[in-house]
Amino acid sequence: MNIQEERNNGIAVLALTGEININSSPELRKKFAAIIEANEKKILVDFSGVSYLDSSGLATLIEILQRLKKIGGKLRFCSISQKVKNVFEITKLINLFEIFDSRKDALQGF
Amino acid sequence: MPLSSSHTIDKAMLVTESIPSKLEAIQAFIGSFIKTLQAMSIDEGDLFAVRLSLEEALVNAMKHGNKMNAASTIGITAQLKKDTLELTIKDRGEGFDHQKLSDPTQKENIDKLSGRGVHLMKNLMDTVEFFDKGSGIRLVKSLKKGRQA
Repeated sequence: MNIQEERNNGIAVLALTGEININSSPELRKKFAAIIEANEKKILVDFSGVSYLDSSGLATLIEILQRLKKIGGKLRFCSISQKVKNVFEITKLINLFEIFDSRKDALQGF
Repeated sequence: MPLSSSHTIDKAMLVTESIPSKLEAIQAFIGSFIKTLQAMSIDEGDLFAVRLSLEEALVNAMKHGNKMNAASTIGITAQLKKDTLELTIKDRGEGFDHQKLSDPTQKENIDKLSGRGVHLMKNLMDTVEFFDKGSGIRLVKSLKKGRQA
């Protein structure tokens, strides 16, 4: 998995490329932890390069959401392909996370 | 409406494997198996569903069935007859009562970190059945043909 990180008006934007699965979850968890430990509370994850997501990946994303909520932070997702969005829909996690069609939409009012 | 012949797979395949309970072995098997299906021009959505269900079943077998003991093997069979794929995954554990699995989509479970694997399989495959007291699982899916590579 490749993670590209940038900042947009105080929001940490992570653009992921590759697969969020049992192999890549530890790396992703580490990246999120570093951002939260640097006292940043707003994270936007751009899924446009994500081709695969499994239940381990979902668990990592839930864990990050819980960590951010505890410190009054926010997590948003954008640009998820239909195949990957289907995993959020089947598990009803589409209702737990804030999901936007585009990066522009996600950044508005964040 | 039945699919026309140009949209059916019309291939036969039989794979029988026994792999150690190690993540690398699971990933290697899945990688090679999916490549075989890709070569048959299977629909992308169906490939995604098969890959995810197979991975969830194999990881469950490794973690919950064989308790991460690499020396305990996982038995896999994969049979493709025309357009129907049937997979069986069998671990060496004592099994479990699948009737007691909780629904991960319920409010009280929605933010739990585990318990979504079987739910995903049930939604992505046509048939999901347990056998040998839950130490085995049978997954069936009718596959569509996608765009030619």
